[in-house]
Amino acid sequence: MDNRLKQDALIEDALTSYPLAPMPRDITLNVMAHIQQDTRPVIVSWRDFVLSFVIAACVTALWFATQNLPPILLAKIRIQGILLYQDFLVNARWMVPATMLGLAALLAVLSIPAMVQMTMKRR
Amino acid sequence: MDREQALIQRAQKGSHEAFAALVEEHQRYVYNLAVRVVRDENEALDLAQETFVRAWTALPNFRGQSQFRTWLYRIVTNLCYNRLPTLRRSLNDLGDDVMEEIPLFDNPAHEIESTETRKYLHQAVEALDENYRLLITLRYQHELSYEEIASTLNLPLGTVKTGIFRAKEQLRRSLAHLEESWITV
Repeated sequence: MDNRLKQDALIEDALTSYPLAPMPRDITLNVMAHIQQDTRPVIVSWRDFVLSFVIAACVTALWFATQNLPPILLAKIRIQGILLYQDFLVNARWMVPATMLGLAALLAVLSIPAMVQMTMKRR
Repeated sequence: MDREQALIQRAQKGSHEAFAALVEEHQRYVYNLAVRVVRDENEALDLAQETFVRAWTALPNFRGQSQFRTWLYRIVTNLCYNRLPTLRRSLNDLGDDVMEEIPLFDNPAHEIESTETRKYLHQAVEALDENYRLLITLRYQHELSYEEIASTLNLPLGTVKTGIFRAKEQLRRSLAHLEESWITV
């Protein structure tokens, strides 16, 4: 047999007899645990109920407060509000970009735990 | 309808038991492909696990145009591309200049082979570059056709043939080395 053909036959034989790598352990349970963890409930959780109750209570309390304050006090509050706004326009214009940047920084910081969690999940 | 088809349909409807059966059936092949490419047991286990988690998420979109196992191989190779950024480029760089038909052998090599030669060639396969290992694994261990490999890796058919041809050329050179060492001894 020609040497090249012989080599080809040897290589072909080695490739077809190359065994599958043995698995160190079964991964079925890990995969299923991941899948079950990832399944999110479609119903509203108790936290959503609590949060909406608190928000509703705050709004109601604010409404009652404004309804029951004496008119003179309401007028004073309004004047103070206008004065504060004027003061802000004159002395604190820098606060607008500062507040925006602060908010952006806060949002960025809040997103860090979620990103760390995603990275850990990937591993 | 065969058993696998039934399992896929049940898993698409959300059956965890059916999907677990699919994982059990295919994990060995998915792990094998990953470990041949990344050459690290733990990383390969991670990749295999990630493959099935992604498969579960994408299962409702699986329409059965390809076989389930080749679909899984596509997911695992995409994950390998993420882990080894050079792999995708090295596959694309193979080109498709090999026009020679790759010969098929039906004559068993038992008359000429020896266990040592076979073992030596298996080691030579493991020493191949990652792109060649991927192609060889898909072709010989997972028994995919050239067309199926091309579709799985999203490569032109000519590139797949070139890659496998060059991998064999490298093995031939390793074999020549071995034969030379026999002569000198």
